[in-house]
Amino acid sequence: MTDPTTAETPTETIRDLSKARDVIVCENVSKWYGDFQALDRVSATIKEQEVVVVLGPSGSGKSTWIRCINRLEQHQEGRIVVDDVELTNDLRNIEKVRSEVGMVFQQFNLFPHLTILDNVTLAPIWVRKKPRPEAESQAMALLERVGIPEQAQKYPGQLSGGQQQRVAIARALAMEPRIMLFDEPTSALDPEMIKEVLDVMKTLAESGMTMMVVTHEMGFAKEVADRLIFMEGGQIVEQNSTEEFFSNPTEERTKLFLSQIL
Amino acid sequence: MTGLDSSNVSSTTAGGQPPAATPVSKIAPPVTPKLSIWEWVKENLFSSPFNCGLTVVTTVILLAIFRGLLAFIFNPVRQWNGVATNLRLMMTRAYPEEQYVRIWVCVAVILILTSLSMAIWHAGSALSVSEVGRKLLTTGTILVLFALLAPFSTAATMLWLLVALVVLGFAEFLRRSSRGLEGQTISTLTLLVLTLSGLVASLWVIPYGHHSYIPKRDPRVLAEPGTVALSTKLPWTLMLVIAVVAYFTGRALRDRLPANATRITLIVLWLLAPPALLYLVLRDPAFDMNHVATTDLPIFAAYAIGGTALLSWLTRPSTGELGRIVSAIILLAGFCSFLTPMRMIVRIDMLALAIFALAAPTFSGGPRAQKRYVASWIGLLGVMSWLITAINTPSTVSVPGGFFIGGMSITLMVAVFTLVISFPLGIALALARTSSMPIFRLLATWFIEFVRGIPLITILIFFSIMVPLFLPRGMHLGEVAAVIIGYVLFSSAYLAENVRGGLQSITRGQQEAADAVGMTSAQKTLFIVLPQALRVSIPPLVGHCIGVFKETSLLAIIGVFDILYIGRIVIPGQTEFMGSTKENVLFVSLIYWIFAYQMSKASQRLEQRTGLGER
Repeated sequence: MTDPTTAETPTETIRDLSKARDVIVCENVSKWYGDFQALDRVSATIKEQEVVVVLGPSGSGKSTWIRCINRLEQHQEGRIVVDDVELTNDLRNIEKVRSEVGMVFQQFNLFPHLTILDNVTLAPIWVRKKPRPEAESQAMALLERVGIPEQAQKYPGQLSGGQQQRVAIARALAMEPRIMLFDEPTSALDPEMIKEVLDVMKTLAESGMTMMVVTHEMGFAKEVADRLIFMEGGQIVEQNSTEEFFSNPTEERTKLFLSQIL
Repeated sequence: MTGLDSSNVSSTTAGGQPPAATPVSKIAPPVTPKLSIWEWVKENLFSSPFNCGLTVVTTVILLAIFRGLLAFIFNPVRQWNGVATNLRLMMTRAYPEEQYVRIWVCVAVILILTSLSMAIWHAGSALSVSEVGRKLLTTGTILVLFALLAPFSTAATMLWLLVALVVLGFAEFLRRSSRGLEGQTISTLTLLVLTLSGLVASLWVIPYGHHSYIPKRDPRVLAEPGTVALSTKLPWTLMLVIAVVAYFTGRALRDRLPANATRITLIVLWLLAPPALLYLVLRDPAFDMNHVATTDLPIFAAYAIGGTALLSWLTRPSTGELGRIVSAIILLAGFCSFLTPMRMIVRIDMLALAIFALAAPTFSGGPRAQKRYVASWIGLLGVMSWLITAINTPSTVSVPGGFFIGGMSITLMVAVFTLVISFPLGIALALARTSSMPIFRLLATWFIEFVRGIPLITILIFFSIMVPLFLPRGMHLGEVAAVIIGYVLFSSAYLAENVRGGLQSITRGQQEAADAVGMTSAQKTLFIVLPQALRVSIPPLVGHCIGVFKETSLLAIIGVFDILYIGRIVIPGQTEFMGSTKENVLFVSLIYWIFAYQMSKASQRLEQRTGLGER
């Protein structure tokens, strides 16, 4: 297995990230939909191997922001630099960033006309130009890792939501990304299935993957995140280490939010 | 409660075991009570006064129509001999008798391909004995109606009734005897072969028509002992044997060869078959070997070697942007070549190479992918060069008046060529119309709206009469080729709209997922968007195919001898079958219906196979 994420496995719970490299840098990122401002001067830096959870009420711009990072949405002002590549209109930069950044969607977005195995191997074969046998053995290893190797020959429609989302994670990992983005990965799932997906994400975080997660799962945030970012109205209201954020929020709005959900 | 009771009863009586032995938590689904025929009729046809009235009125109307049809068909005035005698004329028009073996070669090739495909794609399904019995019961009932309604003499009616009763009796016997053998099934393919064998065997016994079409005689139809059956019974028997042998060969190969490679080979063969059969087998070009050696082969060699070098450079992942610029320049050169006089084949090859070069980065990869890509270029170039040379060489088959085939063959040929060419064109138009590039979008929209606004006949007339006049000096376009080009344009505009409907059904999430794994837009279109869009558009696309097939009959207007024209004008003009238009047209419509119905059945199977509406 040539998966970089398994090569380095720091399993200690408290990690010293102060010396780590900045992999995502956002400076004053703004975006408008027509007259509506979705992002308002968002600035944040995410370090290598860091797990950042983005919280906030609906419509606060969390998803828009995370989708700007691999250019599914275009930001209009400010700068986004991912792994030393600045996102501009240059297609080559966008392709470079997208092959470094994996993304998991709320609605899974598996390709319904392909088997699970083909879903996972399609991009490695055609984008990474891997020979098929190698891509398939890698895909099977990944499916094993997310716990569903026996479903490889089925179609997405024959799987439960939780299984589909785990396939989506395997599909993103097959590109051997350095960063993973999760856009509300458990919001479309039954409560019973949420756990199986969160467990996969937890092991992924423990293996040292840089992760940015938009979620409403407070338990997950508390347990796994290194840092929390709270957004509202397209702005970052507060960002702090997980400990500080829950025990000692500084902003009034954060306190109100926490009081309502905890 | 009833469901629970019945399930308990069935489990104890059927298994003979106490219920405790089976898991208690599992309760078998309630057994739907089976209706007898009378109960079914009462429930579905006579459930309310209105329903009763409707049933009676519909039955009367249907019976009247059926009776009218039979009265027409079996009227002694009808000259069905005209159809039987002119079968060869309807199928191939005046193809020379001494070269007729070429037609049989084509039939054999198509049958072999069909049989192989049926074997490799696991065609056919298993029918249980009781199902066969039920089908025979329906057939028997129709035969009874047939015997009673047709204007036969009493003796003939009795005979038909006897046949019907035998069928009914056999059906009932099958239904009753099938109780014990639930697992007994019979393949639909076996039934098909049995039916076809029956038909072929009948050729040896019944002399359909009293003579075959003999050209260069006046009058052309002579009462000679050569019946239609006499000249076709041996070839058809051979064809049936070939088909069966090919099927079993395919089955034997199926388990030994890699599935995907075999399927792709077969699809390529299917695509190659129409032009190869038409231009190499049926038309039989008399190649001028001197010309081939001095002109055609050098051009082929130059493009093969140059193309190999270029494509191996382009498919290297390290080539990058420079490759795209070079391919764009070749494309431009290909278009500019039309400004200066040169051989058409040089231009066409250059355009093809440009398209291959532009697509190269999408298919680039390891050394294997590279080799495969170069091989497919040389293969395509070879086929293209051979075909263009063949088309430009005079034919050895001389047919009086017009194109070398006619009748059903030309109907099929025009339909197949139009569909095969207009499919990629239509898909490209649909993609262009939904593209984000304004020039493509605008051009595609204009083209589609323009072509859709013009009647097909206008386009056909324009292409058959006007276009040859506009062509540059030294360039010839046969009338049939011109008409096919016009028909392709017409068909692709409609196809594009059907495909566009499918494209719109692809959710944005699919595109985003493809984007997020770093696919280029060509890969996204090819692997994600198009397969799903085409799957959704199967029903309208098949509708379009059927339409294209049937509307080839408009070709008659510009003087192409298609099957309908022969049935409507040519046969009734023969002295012996004067005024037999109605019979011929009825027969021709039966043939059209058989083909169209098969297409529609194929589409249903395709929908099931691709799991439309399930996944």
